Amino acid sequence: MSALITITILALLLLYLGLFKAKKALLPVALIGLMVALVLSLMEWDSNAAPIFSNMMLYDRFAVAFSGITIFLTILIIALSKDYFERISSNVAEYYALILFSLAGIILMVSYHNLSMLFIGIEIMSVSLYILAGIKKRDFASNEAALKYFLMGAFSTGILLFGVTLIYGASGSFDLEGIKQYILKDPTAVSPLLYTGITLLIVGLSFKVGAAPFHFWVPDVYEGSPSLISAYMSTVVKVAGFAAFLRLIMFSFAPLQDFWIPMIIGMSVLSLLIGNVTAVYQQHFKRMLAYSSISHVGYMLFAIIALNGSSDNAVFVYAAAYSVATIIAFGVLILLQGQVGNDSFDSFNGLARKNPFLALTLTIAMLSLAGIPLTAGFIGKFMMFSKALSSYHIFLVVFAALNAMIGIFYYFKVIVAMYFKEEDRKELIVPVYFKLVLGFSALVTIALGVYPDFIASLI
Amino acid sequence: MEVQSLPVDYLPILFQMLVALGFVVLTMTITHLIGPKRKTADKLSPFEAGIEVVGNARTPVSIKYFLVAILFVLFDIEVIFMYPWAVNFREFGVEGLIEMFIFMATLLLGYIYVIKKKAIEWGD
Amino acid sequence: METVSQSIQGIPLNHYILLSAIIFTIGVIGVLIRRNAIIIFMSVELMLNAVNLLLTAFSVYWGDASGQVFVFFIMALAAAEVAIGLAILTMIYRNTNSTDINILNRLKW
Repeated sequence: MSALITITILALLLLYLGLFKAKKALLPVALIGLMVALVLSLMEWDSNAAPIFSNMMLYDRFAVAFSGITIFLTILIIALSKDYFERISSNVAEYYALILFSLAGIILMVSYHNLSMLFIGIEIMSVSLYILAGIKKRDFASNEAALKYFLMGAFSTGILLFGVTLIYGASGSFDLEGIKQYILKDPTAVSPLLYTGITLLIVGLSFKVGAAPFHFWVPDVYEGSPSLISAYMSTVVKVAGFAAFLRLIMFSFAPLQDFWIPMIIGMSVLSLLIGNVTAVYQQHFKRMLAYSSISHVGYMLFAIIALNGSSDNAVFVYAAAYSVATIIAFGVLILLQGQVGNDSFDSFNGLARKNPFLALTLTIAMLSLAGIPLTAGFIGKFMMFSKALSSYHIFLVVFAALNAMIGIFYYFKVIVAMYFKEEDRKELIVPVYFKLVLGFSALVTIALGVYPDFIASLI
Repeated sequence: MEVQSLPVDYLPILFQMLVALGFVVLTMTITHLIGPKRKTADKLSPFEAGIEVVGNARTPVSIKYFLVAILFVLFDIEVIFMYPWAVNFREFGVEGLIEMFIFMATLLLGYIYVIKKKAIEWGD
Repeated sequence: METVSQSIQGIPLNHYILLSAIIFTIGVIGVLIRRNAIIIFMSVELMLNAVNLLLTAFSVYWGDASGQVFVFFIMALAAAEVAIGLAILTMIYRNTNSTDINILNRLKW
C-alpha cells in the first residue's frame, strides 16, 4: 500500500523535476524512489493481511510478491533507459512519469480486492502505455503501434466491463469475497448471467495478456513501439496482467472450474501453437520475441488449468524467469538497433568474437527462454509441467513439450548466428548501466536455475 | 407502487412515435412532390448569393483548439466525483474533507503542470 | 428518490439486460467491421455506455449504490481514454500530412 503511494508521488515528483529542468537528476531519483518503494512493499509481508480501504484492496503475500517482482523489473528496465529517451525527444521526464504511473496501475492490479479496483488499475496502466507506445512521433511504425494498442485496449476494456457488470448483476457485489460467497452458496444453481460474465471477463483479460486467439495485436504493437517500451510491455505488463487474471480466478471462480477450464485449455493450446510456430518463421529478433511472448503465456496458463494452492507460486517463478531473460534480450536488442540499425538475425553474426560479454548474457537468456536445465527458465517450465501432470493433463504436457522443442530451434538461431557465423563487424559499445543490468540479470537467471529453492516456495 | 408495467402501457408512446415519424415522412414527401425543380449550377452552389465560393470549408485549425478542448474534457469530468461527496458531505465528515482535498490537490498539480508547459497559452 | 427507483423497478430487469446487450453488440460489430479509426472509437464508447446503463439498472435492482459509483469511474476513465485516443489520432494526421481519414484504412489486424 505504501509502495503504491510512494510510486505515485515519485511520478509526480519526476514530472515537476522535468519542469524545472533538472534533467540529470531524473534517472537517479527514479531508481532510488523505486528501490524505496520495493523495500516498503517487501516490508508489508504479512501472511494474515486483512482488506484495507473499505475492502477495496488486500495486500496479502500474493500482492507483495507480485508488486515486488514488477517493481524490481521496472528498476532493471529504467536502468536501461540511460540516454535512450533523450534520443527520442526532450520530454524525458514525462516518459519516466508515465512509466511510473503505469506501474502504480500495476500495483493496483495485483492487489485488488474489488473489481472496481481491477478496472481502475488496468485503465491507469493502459492509458499510460497507449502514450508510451507512440512516443516516437515521427515514426509511422510507432504511430501505428499506438493506434492499434489503443483501439484493441479500449475494445478489450469494454468487453471486460460488460463481464464485470454481468457478474455484479448475478451476485450483487463487486467484492471478490462477496462473489465467492455467492458462488459457494450453491455452485450448481448460479445465475446464467454469471457464466456469461466470467466468459467476457476471461476474454477481456486474455486481450490484455495477449493470449491466443486474442493475440493479433501483440506482434505489431511490440514491433512498432520503441524497444524499451516493448521490453516493459512484454515483461512487467504481462506479469501484472497475468497476476490479475490469476488472482481473480483463484479468489472467486475456483468453485466453477468445470466451466472455465475448457476455455483456458483451448487458449493455452492455441497460444503455444501460434506463438511457437509463427516465431520460427520470423526474420527479425524483435518480432520473434513478440511471438515467443505469446507462447510463454501459453505455458503460464498451465498454472490456471491446474489450479490449486501453489498456482500463484508457479506463475511467480515462471514470470520472474521469463521476464529477466526477456529484459536481457531486449537490452541487447536496444544496443544493436542503436548502433547497427537493424535487428534481423544476420546482424548478430560474429557478435561473440567482438562482444563476448554481450553474446554470453544473450546466450544465457536464450537458454533460459528455451527452458534448458540450470537456468531459471527450466525451473519455471518444470513447475508448470509438473502442475499440469499432477492434475492429469497428460496430452497437454506432451503437446507443450513438443512446442518447447520448436522453441529451442528458434532461440538457438540467435546463438548459432552469434557464435558460428563469421562476419567482420564493429564492436558494439556497451555503456556501464547496460553492463550492470545485463550481468546482474544473467546472474539471477543462473542463480535461480541452480538454487530454485530460493523462491520456489515463497508465496 | 405499480406491480408491473404491461406492454399495453407503452401504447401511447408508440402512437407518439408513429405520429412524429409520419409527420416527417409526410411533409418531406409532399414538398418533394409538389415543389418546382430548377437544377442550374447557381442553384446547386452552397450559397445562392452570387458570390463565388472560395477555398475548402474544412481548413486546418490551430492545434491549440484541440489541446484546450482535451484539457477541458479531462478537468470537466472530475466534477462527477464531487457530486456524491457534496451530497454526503455531513456523513463523510472531516476524513472525507481531507480525502477530497488530496484529490483536488492532485488535480491542481496537474493544472499547474499544464500551465507551466504553456499548453493553454494562445500567443505564438 | 424512492418513487424513481420504484418506477424503474416496475420494468422487468430482463428488458434492461436485453437493451444493453443489443447496444453492446452494435458497438462490438462496429469495432469489428468498420475500418475508420474514429468510428471504431465511437463504437467503443457505445459499448461503454451500454455497460453504464446496465450497471445503473442492476444497481437499482439490488438497491446497492456501488454500481452507480462504478459508473462514475467508467465515465472518468472513458474521458481519459478519449483524450489519449484523440491525441493519437491527431498525431497520425500530422504525420501523414493529411486530414484524410482514409490513411487509417490501411491498418489491418
